[in-house]
Amino acid sequence: MPPLRRAASATAALLVSALTLTACGSGGDDGGSSADGKAEGKITFQTWNLRAKFKDYFEGLVRDFEKQNPDVKVAWLDQPAEHYADKLSADAGAGTLPDVVNVSPDLSYPLAKAGLLTNLDKEKAAARFKGEYTPEAWQGNSLPGLGGSYAFPWYLNTGPLFYNKTLFRDSGLDPERPPRSYGELFADADRMARQSGGKTATLAATPSIEDFGRYGVQLMNADATKFTYDEPKGVELLTKYKDLYEHGGLDPQALTNTPEKSGQKFLEQKVAMNPGGAHDLETFKENAPSLYRNLGITDAPNNTGKPNMYVMGLAVNSRSKHKAAAIAFAHFVTGKQQQEAFAHKVAIFPSTKGSLDDPYWTKEDGTDEGRVRVASAKMLKGAVNYTPVVMSDEMKTILRNEVAKALQGKKSPRQALDDAAAQSNKLLRQG
Amino acid sequence: MAGRIRTHRAASPWLFLLPGLAVTAAFTLYPFLSTVGKAFTDARTLTPGHWTGLANFRAMLEDEQFWVALRNSGLYVLLVVPFTVLLPLLLALLVEKQLPGVTFFRSAFYTPVVASVVVVSLIWVWMLDDRGLVNGILRALDTGPVDFLGDEWLLLLSAMALTVWKGLGYYMVVYLAALGNVPRELHEAAAVDGAGALRRFTSVTVPAVRSTMVLVGALSSVSAFKVFSEVFLMAGPSGGPAGQDTTLVMLVQRTGTGLGGRVGYASAVSLVVFAVTLLLMLLVLRADRKEAP
Repeated sequence: MPPLRRAASATAALLVSALTLTACGSGGDDGGSSADGKAEGKITFQTWNLRAKFKDYFEGLVRDFEKQNPDVKVAWLDQPAEHYADKLSADAGAGTLPDVVNVSPDLSYPLAKAGLLTNLDKEKAAARFKGEYTPEAWQGNSLPGLGGSYAFPWYLNTGPLFYNKTLFRDSGLDPERPPRSYGELFADADRMARQSGGKTATLAATPSIEDFGRYGVQLMNADATKFTYDEPKGVELLTKYKDLYEHGGLDPQALTNTPEKSGQKFLEQKVAMNPGGAHDLETFKENAPSLYRNLGITDAPNNTGKPNMYVMGLAVNSRSKHKAAAIAFAHFVTGKQQQEAFAHKVAIFPSTKGSLDDPYWTKEDGTDEGRVRVASAKMLKGAVNYTPVVMSDEMKTILRNEVAKALQGKKSPRQALDDAAAQSNKLLRQG
Repeated sequence: MAGRIRTHRAASPWLFLLPGLAVTAAFTLYPFLSTVGKAFTDARTLTPGHWTGLANFRAMLEDEQFWVALRNSGLYVLLVVPFTVLLPLLLALLVEKQLPGVTFFRSAFYTPVVASVVVVSLIWVWMLDDRGLVNGILRALDTGPVDFLGDEWLLLLSAMALTVWKGLGYYMVVYLAALGNVPRELHEAAAVDGAGALRRFTSVTVPAVRSTMVLVGALSSVSAFKVFSEVFLMAGPSGGPAGQDTTLVMLVQRTGTGLGGRVGYASAVSLVVFAVTLLLMLLVLRADRKEAP
């Protein structure tokens, strides 16, 4: 091969290979404006997959706020559900993080750690609103090691557990008495697997970090610097799940099932119980009428008496050029009146003090939606967010994979949890 | 005046090249150099990181997931490439002849190439599910069900089968172009000399399309080593049961993305992918040079 051709070939090879590489950038610190000044300027507000169903509500919110604050203009952006964290990281890296941004505590943690979010407890203009929210909700947005709360509490959710009454009845179980604790769950699952000859599993997914929390496992140490879910109680839970898997109480494909696949299996009546939300009722009604007619709704099994709670918040960009306006708008959206109005449109719950005492959330109205709403609102009292905010997606994958190894019998439950905790702690130490 | 013209003449090729070079520099060269730089730091998605020398590479050696991913990507090359080199050639020989209705078959074989990898992967997942079409047939034959999506090896083999199936049409077209250049006289002469179909294939067709086979081998080995979509969609984001179906690019995605992404570590894994891909390309180019008449 002539030298020139050889060089050209080598260059081509280099370029093709170079295309396999990727890179990311990081934003610079350009500082933010004062939060104590007058609310004015143009701010951006980003929500998480809410435009499709609530366009009118949010446009109305923006209109009302602009009417009350004529010097502020709000540009509303909405991002799809998928890859929201990637979108936030791209914005953060490019220095284009919106002024007011919809986050959950696990998303706000890395942003706050990088100094991109405003510490509301330390910002007088924001801290004065603290008393308007329930203490649990405000605490839910506090980030360990970062000394404060980094988002205005917005809507809350618990998510009920659906179950198939027909499958319960067929197994000789009382369809009106679903399992309330993990002990009852394992007993019912064992019976169902035996009665159906291994054809009906009770659950479709392996235990998540929230399951460990609800079982009563100490997930982390007090200052959230070390995972401790490999304690004896964690090993006990995983051992019970292993038995469940071996005896058919857990779907054979549980190790690879995604939440969508698990939902599909519940719809096909191959598994008896599955977590979900009120929006699933419509899907059941349309796609599985026989399931819908025999649908039971209960709380997720719990050994602690404290159910799991999902928390949404609105964070304020610390580098916002119009921080006063951003704080005013975030407070406006999460205000009592606005939160309650939003919660009347969809099955979510307000985080403002006293809202859940309203009859709308305490008295059933005879509809299935009302039943789910009242049951979930009741669960919210005393609920906690079990997901440790420092637990990244990679750490969740590590736990999932080690749990799978234990269920497959490749490792003992103790070894699997020890390994998962060790790997996650290593990542945690790296910062 | 003459001097100015000469200057223009010298600059012209560069001016024509400038847009292309600018795009390459911005979207290939800069990310490449940036990745090389970050591979030696503890960069995170939101923080630029500090120089850590070879720490990421040492961590890689101790990372069980890295070895699993390297094994899977390597197996992908070993098992997928022979099929993507041979099967499309046989398919091209079938549809090469101008028979009535052959256009339909050519189009049919090409269809998977145009279809979205996401769509075809989901269709395969439905087919291979424990209540899917394939297991339905196996049950009817009293041999099922087979846990295609729950067993780490069957899942990987299923993803490989999907890759081969999806690439068949593309490489078939490449071979069709090459076969069109094989002189008909060679086949006729071999037939006159008493060569059967198999002998004509090995002694006439294969040598005539040898350089195309090398090209197909090079292209398919690089894309097999970089496999992502098929395995990600079939095995799920955590990489199949216990993450045992993770490939190297999946590992890059898993460790390097998200708000807490370990960009430094992911860059180091990317460099390994780069080095192996480069090696594969150079090996194929070398093989081509050695075998060239």
